[in-house]
Amino acid sequence: MELNVKFMIDTFFLALTGVPATLSITAAALIISAPIAFFMAISRIYNVKIIKQAVTAYVSFIRGTPVVLQILIIYSLLPSLFNTIIKSAGWNINVFDINPIIYAYIVFSLNTCAGLSEIFRSALLTVNKGQLEAALSIGMSPVQAYTRIIIPQALVSAIPNICNLTINLIKGTSLAFMMTVKEVTSIAKIAASYGYNYIEAYLDILIIYIILCSLVQILFALIEKYFGSYRAHPGSLAKAN
Amino acid sequence: MRPFNPLYILEVFFELLPFLPVTILILAGSVFFGSLLGFILAKAKVSGRKTPRLLADTYTAMMRCTPPIVLLFIVYYGLPELLLSTLGLDINNIEKGIFVLVTYTLLFGATMSEIMRSSYESIDKGQWEAAVSIGLSPFQAFYRIMLPQATVVALPNFCNVLINLMKDGALAFTIGLIDVMGKGTLIISRNFGAYALETYIALALLYWGLTLIIENSFGMLEKTLSRGKRSIAD
Repeated sequence: MELNVKFMIDTFFLALTGVPATLSITAAALIISAPIAFFMAISRIYNVKIIKQAVTAYVSFIRGTPVVLQILIIYSLLPSLFNTIIKSAGWNINVFDINPIIYAYIVFSLNTCAGLSEIFRSALLTVNKGQLEAALSIGMSPVQAYTRIIIPQALVSAIPNICNLTINLIKGTSLAFMMTVKEVTSIAKIAASYGYNYIEAYLDILIIYIILCSLVQILFALIEKYFGSYRAHPGSLAKAN
Repeated sequence: MRPFNPLYILEVFFELLPFLPVTILILAGSVFFGSLLGFILAKAKVSGRKTPRLLADTYTAMMRCTPPIVLLFIVYYGLPELLLSTLGLDINNIEKGIFVLVTYTLLFGATMSEIMRSSYESIDKGQWEAAVSIGLSPFQAFYRIMLPQATVVALPNFCNVLINLMKDGALAFTIGLIDVMGKGTLIISRNFGAYALETYIALALLYWGLTLIIENSFGMLEKTLSRGKRSIAD
């Protein structure tokens, strides 16, 4: 087996141009789904009727179906749905001019919502109820109590799980080529198809994903260190006195 | 626009069912070989010897960062050439399921090794010492004392990775394996792209059902196996 080294190096740098798209899908999915997932988690913790059941069913569905199917369903459903909406609204937009990355944002946000809501729920449950009561008793509003007391503490236990989710998300974005998004995998695949150099191209993709995921892990290790200052140390009270 | 036809979902669903054994066979095969690989890796990780541990850790870290579809294609395109150039073996006409099996064994082995390691380490070392001190051989101590306890600890995680493996397995259609997903894409192309949404929904329901079955049976298994276990809850 001989690898075409020149092609491999060229394609590596070519595929690197897809990294911004990969990262933007990841970032967009996390940013869009974080607030939604938070309210999904809250509604499950506080047993809000109907919403709780709907959220539970949604999480179960997303957890129970492959990402590739979610992509295919959304990608065969949304364009025609948008088309109908646009036509009935009378706007002058061509659906086929919409950048496919928009669909990728939607699919991966829907997917991330479910995972993130579970992470938030378990993280919020680790915070002692006394913390909320204490915050309210000294006159904080519920919003203040959450943003200043509960969420920072919950984040400490959530960060390793969020790191896992982010890595799975980055790996999942490699499927965005099915929606013709120009990200790492699709760029390298297209380059490979000219000369049938698939092994070299896929090894390039592999190297890029390993670098990306390693960077994400380092980043999260730093974040965890930073948020670690919120961690309740058993001995910290004694020291303060 | 052609109206959405909910009845067709049902029709496709029953057409997909005969291909369920392929999906389950690939799943079972990957779990079997992946567990063997995972066991070897986990043994290297807890053995305390430096080189095997480093190798196993590096392998796991690499696999953790590898998208399944990328590994699938590397195996699909790379393995035949590798075998042809090193051993002179021509496997270009081999069953596609083999490539799928190899891919998911490699992936599952890495995750499995982490589960095995963490569950093994969660068992109190005193259990091992007590077992050996009453005269059990190291093998007996592992097989009769450590393994049953570690299995209960590992069950919830195992259920999770099993579901993930099944979902990742849906990608096998991209290299042309005819499992439920592959049959679904065949049905769509047979209809010249019509009823795509209905077919995908039928597939989603099928996978959802499988996931629920796996989850519930593991929940029951966990309940049965942890009968004798005492925790802070009691």
